[in-house]
Amino acid sequence: MCGCPIISTLTEEPIVELNDVGVKYPGNIQALEHITLKISKGNFVGLIGPNGAGKSTLLSVILGIVKPTTGYVRLFGKPISPQSLRKIGYVPQEPYSKGSNFPASVYETVLMGRIPYSRPFPWFGREDHRKVEEALKRLDIEDLKNRKIGELSGGQTQRVFTAKALVGEPKMLIFDEPTSGVDSEAKKEFYSILEQLNRDFGITTILSIHDLGVVTKLARTIICINRTLYFDGLTTGFNSNVILPKVYNFAVEVIKHGDHP
Amino acid sequence: METTLSSILTYLSAGFIQRAFIVGILMALLCSLLSVYIVIKRLSLIGDGLAHTAYGGLAIGLAIGSVESMLSNPFLVGGAIVIVGSIMITKAIRSARFSGDAAVAVFLELGLATGIFVTSVTRNYGFNLNALLFGSILLVTWTQIYATALVLVLTVVLIFVFYKHLLYTIFNEVQASAAGIVTWKFDYLLAVLAGTAVIVSIPVVGILLTSALFVLPALTSLQLARSFKQTIMMSPVFGLLSIILGILFSIIEPNAAPGGTIVLVGLTLLLAAMVTRKIKSLFKH
Repeated sequence: MCGCPIISTLTEEPIVELNDVGVKYPGNIQALEHITLKISKGNFVGLIGPNGAGKSTLLSVILGIVKPTTGYVRLFGKPISPQSLRKIGYVPQEPYSKGSNFPASVYETVLMGRIPYSRPFPWFGREDHRKVEEALKRLDIEDLKNRKIGELSGGQTQRVFTAKALVGEPKMLIFDEPTSGVDSEAKKEFYSILEQLNRDFGITTILSIHDLGVVTKLARTIICINRTLYFDGLTTGFNSNVILPKVYNFAVEVIKHGDHP
Repeated sequence: METTLSSILTYLSAGFIQRAFIVGILMALLCSLLSVYIVIKRLSLIGDGLAHTAYGGLAIGLAIGSVESMLSNPFLVGGAIVIVGSIMITKAIRSARFSGDAAVAVFLELGLATGIFVTSVTRNYGFNLNALLFGSILLVTWTQIYATALVLVLTVVLIFVFYKHLLYTIFNEVQASAAGIVTWKFDYLLAVLAGTAVIVSIPVVGILLTSALFVLPALTSLQLARSFKQTIMMSPVFGLLSIILGILFSIIEPNAAPGGTIVLVGLTLLLAAMVTRKIKSLFKH
């Protein structure tokens, strides 16, 4: 999967740039320390690390949800702004909690992805609706559009929120452990959609995930963190036997058994 | 039956009943619109908290102001205090030091204690506490109607303009802010709108029942709606039904206080919606 164009895409101007980023949470908890990295256009990045390694914090920093205590972040060559955030589609770990019982239909949920690009007042334009239909089709969930989101399975929910992220025509997609609670068949299909989006539309993708098997199969480069950066480079150059024992503190066996089906 | 009907008709021609209906309809629209946001944000008791803050505020207003004066009118003083209270409740919730229910409870107690303290110290017993607790929809003045209409128009316009941003914020604040929406502004906007609605609704339905109007219409429509759009369209319908039927019942049974009948109708509608949903889900499976 890692063909020749990698080198050329990797030399392009970075979409995400982190310089010596550190995050300290209240209570003196150092979540991230000295993270310096770049993500270039069109790349498919696998973000790995143990539980509590700061993967979600790192994504939150890129999304401007958490402000770094030290260092800085640049998106598309500029400091984070509402304009730059609009170019990013984000699918959180638990995009919708069933307990919230929010009364949205699938169509409405996907349409919400258009909100940052549309005018005030309750109406959406023809263009907005067209993009929603397109995204529903691409993720093969047209038949679900009138369902309430609370009634969907884990895999269906994940597709709905990926469609919602897509309608903003993002330059970059960020997934935070998207397949927790999704059965293995649905996982496979979901990953092949991500692969397609990256290949056909050149959408830069960051996928935070536990499953090392999936990462080595999908990602062109790997970022491995546990509070600090342990690896940032081509998947082909990722020597799991050397790096993982350091990062996971000898918990490697467990991770390896969880390989992609 | 005929006598009931003719007595209703006689009442309906009376000015005070007409005013009650007008203010009731305005209030139903106002509270049921806001209730959608409040219930979904899990702040169902905010109406109660703000109403008690208003009690403290009105007590202070009566102690330092006078009904004749425009600037120090107790309702304006009380209103200002409620708006400050709503901002502070939101600030407390957002600081993450308090959970939503705890922040509301603290302000409820603060308002109630201040109210009791100020009324007892100033011995302001001319202040009709009973009217504030239960409201007096049948004694509504045109000034109150205008004030309610003004607040309703303001609320509808703001909800209309910021419809999408409010929707995204209550749907998921993290996703909304990751999409570049400045969500905290909309949190405060909702709180201030709720505070303003509370201050106009207290003289009409009273402190104790204000929170019912802030909760029941949305809760009822959430049982049946299949989308957010349906929720926000159904909620005012349930609000209107409660108020109109509630006032009618209190006309049929002249000893029944309208505040009570309005809320009882609202509760009956909620029960009916819950039963309907249950029956529907039984047929689905």
